Amino acid sequence: MRRLSVLFTAVLVFLLGFAVAQQTPAGSSISNQASASYIDSAGQPRTTTSNQVITVVQQVYSFTITPDGNSTSTPGQTRSALPGAPVYFAYTVANTGNGTDTINLATLQDTGIGATDNFDFTGVAIYADTNCNGRIDAGESVVSSVSVAQGGSACIVVAATIPASATNSQYANVNLTGTSAGDNTKTDTNNWARGIATTAAALDLTKSASPSGGVSPGATISYTLSGQNRGGSAASAITNVGGTGLNGILIQDVIPSGLVITTSGSNPTGLAGAGTVQFVYYNGTTWSTTLPATITGNGTVALGMVIGGTGAFFPQNASYTFSFQATVPAAATQGTNYANVGTLQYNNGSNQTVTSNTTNNTVGASYNVAVGPSGNPTATGAADSQTIASAVSGQTVIFTNTLQNTGNASDSFTLASSGAPAGWVCQLTQTDGTPISGAVGPIAAGSNYNFQVRCAIPASYTGGPVTVTVTGTSVSNTSKSDPTTDVVTTVTSGYAVDLATHGNAGDGNPANDNPTPQTVNPGSIASFPLDIVNTGSNADTYNLTATLPVGWIAVYYPDTNCDGAMDTPTPAPITSTSLMNSGLPGKKCFIAQVQVPAGTAPIISTTNVTFTSTSTTLGTVTDFVTTGVSVNLLQGFAFTPNRAGTVTAPGTIVYTHNLSNTGNAAATVSIPAFTSAYSWIYQFSTDGGTTWTSSVSGLALAAGGSTTLQVRVIVPSGEPIGRQEAATFTATATYTGGSTATSNVTDTTTVVGGDLKLTKSAVSYQGNAETTVRDAAAAKANPGDRIVYTVVAQNIGTGDLTNVRVSDPLPAYTNFVSVSATATGFATGTVLYSTNNGTTWSATAPTTLTAGQSIMVGVDTNSDGKIDATDTMLPAAQITLTFKVVVQ
Amino acid sequence: MKLNYLWALLFALATFALAQPSKDVKLELKAFRVLSAQEAGKTTEKLEPALDVKPGQVIEYRLEATNTTDRNLNQVALTIPVPKDTYYLALSAQPLKYEGGLVIPEFSFDYGQTFGKAPLKHKVKVMENGKEVEKEVEVKPEEYTHVRWVLPLLKAKESVVLTLRTVVR
Repeated sequence: MRRLSVLFTAVLVFLLGFAVAQQTPAGSSISNQASASYIDSAGQPRTTTSNQVITVVQQVYSFTITPDGNSTSTPGQTRSALPGAPVYFAYTVANTGNGTDTINLATLQDTGIGATDNFDFTGVAIYADTNCNGRIDAGESVVSSVSVAQGGSACIVVAATIPASATNSQYANVNLTGTSAGDNTKTDTNNWARGIATTAAALDLTKSASPSGGVSPGATISYTLSGQNRGGSAASAITNVGGTGLNGILIQDVIPSGLVITTSGSNPTGLAGAGTVQFVYYNGTTWSTTLPATITGNGTVALGMVIGGTGAFFPQNASYTFSFQATVPAAATQGTNYANVGTLQYNNGSNQTVTSNTTNNTVGASYNVAVGPSGNPTATGAADSQTIASAVSGQTVIFTNTLQNTGNASDSFTLASSGAPAGWVCQLTQTDGTPISGAVGPIAAGSNYNFQVRCAIPASYTGGPVTVTVTGTSVSNTSKSDPTTDVVTTVTSGYAVDLATHGNAGDGNPANDNPTPQTVNPGSIASFPLDIVNTGSNADTYNLTATLPVGWIAVYYPDTNCDGAMDTPTPAPITSTSLMNSGLPGKKCFIAQVQVPAGTAPIISTTNVTFTSTSTTLGTVTDFVTTGVSVNLLQGFAFTPNRAGTVTAPGTIVYTHNLSNTGNAAATVSIPAFTSAYSWIYQFSTDGGTTWTSSVSGLALAAGGSTTLQVRVIVPSGEPIGRQEAATFTATATYTGGSTATSNVTDTTTVVGGDLKLTKSAVSYQGNAETTVRDAAAAKANPGDRIVYTVVAQNIGTGDLTNVRVSDPLPAYTNFVSVSATATGFATGTVLYSTNNGTTWSATAPTTLTAGQSIMVGVDTNSDGKIDATDTMLPAAQITLTFKVVVQ
Repeated sequence: MKLNYLWALLFALATFALAQPSKDVKLELKAFRVLSAQEAGKTTEKLEPALDVKPGQVIEYRLEATNTTDRNLNQVALTIPVPKDTYYLALSAQPLKYEGGLVIPEFSFDYGQTFGKAPLKHKVKVMENGKEVEKEVEVKPEEYTHVRWVLPLLKAKESVVLTLRTVVR
């Protein structure tokens, strides 16, 4: 038993040797790249990376051959057989370097001078034991080398025949040596084995594992321990063999740590050529014939088979077999090796212990991945999904997901998302928001990695549900992937706006939004205080527009203090808001001014003005209010000017007047017939004197229009000199809708005896100059305008006239500019001026004339410096007075 | 006239600004193979460019970071990963003396997601007497994945050199 425990220790060391992580494979590149993040002088976060350095891993050569036998006196394995029969020594060659290597193999006999054994083997040969069962099977051939991959192993059987001449108990030693082909300084030469010639019973034991070599997590390994009595006598039972309490032959197997045996009627199984088979279980302290349902290997517990019998019960050539199945844990990590060796105890005159060859099963890399909701990567079914119930367009939803490396080896993983609607931008990031590019990892087996899916929802998107599928895929085995879903149930618009009359925006009541309609005069402004509230979730800017009658203009002004009145000073007009935060705290106020052009026709409306606010982010987000601007009817009717003239009897005089409509609607003008107190005839003409009527009716006067009206006075013969009639004509303008306006002119006509005819005309100019005529009849003049009056006095009779003085007063509300007079038709004479009604005269025209004063001119024909009865005006002579004033 | 009020939202509005790549900081990384030599009874170290290595050998990574601008940069975090197939050699990343201060290296064992000063600890759930218990376990230096130094300031036109060593697995 002491020797047995030494062997177990060796096996454990072997196991540990496999358990450490594999070396980095030769040819691998170790690449490294440093990075920096910092805040630049502008306060912006920045990142940068270094150059990449790459170091290539070179191959190192290393291997072991086991079991070890350090010298001829301490062989690592001992086999017995009849003289003339072969013995088989099983070895394992393991590559402990970091790349594939070929191990050259040779055998060495303990021979010649200094030999410590009794004979030499014949027919020594090295076989590749491809199925690792410790025997030479059909198809397994003689080799001189084996090629072994990194971390792999190869099974070898050395066959040697004991010469027939050998006698009982004589033995021979043989060594298996190995040399690395890649580095011939790496050798393994301590693998001595011993074969003993025996005529006593000689049971052997070989062990096989199916599959041999690599296994996957969760795989089942079928172990078979079998042997035969190859000696010359029957084998005997051992009393209380191995401490089991039973008598017979014991085959036992210490279960490698981690392997699980589920016992049943067919597991284990065993047969023996003689005796009775009994399965036994060792729990580390005692043996039992009752097998637990589950046996988990820990390097100590063992499963055994006792071939029960007494005395020399197991005859020559009788054989046995013992099989069981063990399962590799699903979580077994890559590189875990299950080394297993069986032992046999029997008696051939003394108690013998035989150790089998070692089977090795190494767990290969298994790659897998699970992706699930945060903290639950392995979730399945409905749990393998997480949901955000409601989201808002224009914002970003963030899902945190967890990936788990469910393989048994370190691995990297690629992440991908799919399923987001068009326009969505979904990005995979680390939990701090750093974008993920390329694969994540390497991530140790069983470890978790948290990442985020950040989906920016476009402003225009509403609806749902939206399911984004995130899939993690193993880089090492791209057939292994796992999806999870991140669901947004409903997306509502993040954009909305409420436009309302001042004080009512954002109150949730659409019924009070429209401003009260207003009524204004043409040419004036209607002001509407309005408020805007961003009722969406996202900050936004709005364009401000209006729909108006043609020609009208709407202008928006900010009302910074939100008092509903225009700020002082008047701010600059705007066409859009600044960026507005959502909700009532972000409310902004405006004054919308509607400018109604002068002359606009009267209108009554409550719906002709619409103010609209439209999101600059999403044009479909808009709100409007409707109101009305009514326009008053404006009357403006003038019948001007008053005229005065002289006429002889019989005689005719024509006065020209102007009818103007300065209101904002068309009017129809009528003037009734005038009845003279002296049978004078008064007639009107609206067509420039072509036709004359006694009254006017139905004369259309458009809004803003004007027309000329002539009055003709026909004075019959016989009228006394000095008779005068002031005829007042009242014109009535009837506007659309029936309202009326009236205006009068008075034409004063005086009958003169002489034949002096006086006519007066006037022209008004724009401004105090004679450049641009404002009105050829001076019917209109603005303050500052110049009016030039021309008075012509003509002797239309046949006799001389004397003491002719022409006088004209400075009109009220005007200032004197200049006066001048000319005379034609006189025999001789000088024009004289008087500003004091003829008291004094001067040949020089006055340069000033004050209010209330008149200018008086005459022609001094006798050169006495004054105008009196001695000054004569010949027939056809005329005096022209030009009098210029400026309107105050 | 709009009645949709969407104040109550259950999720975060993303306002993350992504850092922009830039050339303000020049990073030059070099790898050296560390060889021990016996000379006159003393063990000396020799550094050679690490074009190739064997398992078990030590690589020294040396990072020179230079502020190429005319202005000071703030919060300069310099990170050297521990590459795959190697492990961090304990105590090989030393504090940096700069501008009269000492910048202590920080370590990450989760691929740079979080950093802390050594020794790092992480919580694991273990079964104890049939109950699941959370225990704080020290993270071995061999499990470190990244090392970084965070300089509060890197002055204009100045450089710093940082080193760490890893062992080839």
